[in-house]
Amino acid sequence: MKKFVLHAGKPTSVYLLALFLILCGKVQAQDSGNDIDIAVKPVPVLTGSTAYFTRVTGGQIQDAPTVSPLLLLPVGDHLLIESKAGFSDTFTKNAQGDYAGTVSYGLTYAQADYITKYATFTAGRFITPFNMYGERLAPNWIRDLQTTPTSVGISSGAALGGMIRGGLPLVTDKLHLNYATYFSTANTNHILATDRSTGGRIGFFLPGPRLEIGASFQQVLQQDRPHAVGTHFEWQPNAIPLTLRSEYTRSSGTRGSGYWIEAAYRLSQIPHMSATELVGRGQQFFAAANLAPAVAKKLGPLGIDSKEGDWGMNYYFRSDVRASASYGRQFALGRNTNLWTIGMTYRFVMPMWPTGGGL
Amino acid sequence: MKLKSLCAALVMMAVLLAMASAKTRDTKDEAAKSAAASHPAQHDQDMRFEGEKRFHSNCSRCHAAPPKFPARMMGTIVRHMRVRAMLTDDDVRYILRYMTQ
Repeated sequence: MKKFVLHAGKPTSVYLLALFLILCGKVQAQDSGNDIDIAVKPVPVLTGSTAYFTRVTGGQIQDAPTVSPLLLLPVGDHLLIESKAGFSDTFTKNAQGDYAGTVSYGLTYAQADYITKYATFTAGRFITPFNMYGERLAPNWIRDLQTTPTSVGISSGAALGGMIRGGLPLVTDKLHLNYATYFSTANTNHILATDRSTGGRIGFFLPGPRLEIGASFQQVLQQDRPHAVGTHFEWQPNAIPLTLRSEYTRSSGTRGSGYWIEAAYRLSQIPHMSATELVGRGQQFFAAANLAPAVAKKLGPLGIDSKEGDWGMNYYFRSDVRASASYGRQFALGRNTNLWTIGMTYRFVMPMWPTGGGL
Repeated sequence: MKLKSLCAALVMMAVLLAMASAKTRDTKDEAAKSAAASHPAQHDQDMRFEGEKRFHSNCSRCHAAPPKFPARMMGTIVRHMRVRAMLTDDDVRYILRYMTQ
């Protein structure tokens, strides 16, 4: 122990920073002498998705066309400006039996990313780095089931401020580290609403067995200042076309805790059914204890204990056109509900500048 | 105190690992360069295989394989995915090469 006495006065963060820098240096040594670079001048791209879904929730029918455009604007070798918006019109039968539409729109993110080898510096409005659903699986052309797990709403989903994130091989190329840390200011604008919060996520990814585990933390810095912790897990075995995913989230505030586990199996080994994917998901949500009735009502699904099982099927006409159908059963006190969903998604990608065909 | 000692030990371990592994990697890089010079076709195939492997490890975790777009579009899309999926620098370069071949 004596040999560490000289360092006893230094804060722990100094050691962690030193460790990080050493690992970065190690990776730089690994990358030297690489000949995989190709010269590509990126062009602005408009991408995103459109979808049309019919949902039947406890007998209530909803039809919802949506469009979510994403504009990608690369600048120079290191900068990317990206902005995604969402627009939907939800038609529901009213008391007179007529369909009435409710328009909703929002800005999912509008951020500028400065990309370096080991870190990306982001500023603007962005999706909070917490677990994996919000950032990776939320777009409707990606998600395997169209219903969002209840526990995803526990953490604050949007941020306005700055973020540092990145991915790097850790010690060997068989283990990758990905990390994100952010700070957000409060914003009360109805489109840009965010909480004042800070937090981050760390994940370890094994590319060989295609396994990732990670943990997240979020501290809200306003009102009753709750914090949330989360863990996520994802595994795609090499032997079979199966994806297993799971998340767990717990809040110290009024938003309770919950988890979900999802499995998706692509029938790629069966002739004539290779474009079909079967999906199942189980989830459980535990509302915070001793919630006042008014608070529970305001929290909606986060104000009541629930269990839910969903089963679905996706059929890929092409890689960018997909039909989806699912059935779910939600068990909540005095409110057991059937959830039916059927619809289609289309992901579009188009250049906003001549691509020239070559590099 | 225990945490500080643990961190110091971790730093020392990282230094040792870095020193040991960098040497091995340098030797590997030199071997790869000489192999590329003597067998360019085989080298191209190896690069494609590595790119495909990294594509399936990273991109296929979330979505179906997209069609191959013109290189200048792929450059933008891969840059976007680098941020979104927190890909490593090497992953990006291999995947971009694979998706534009």
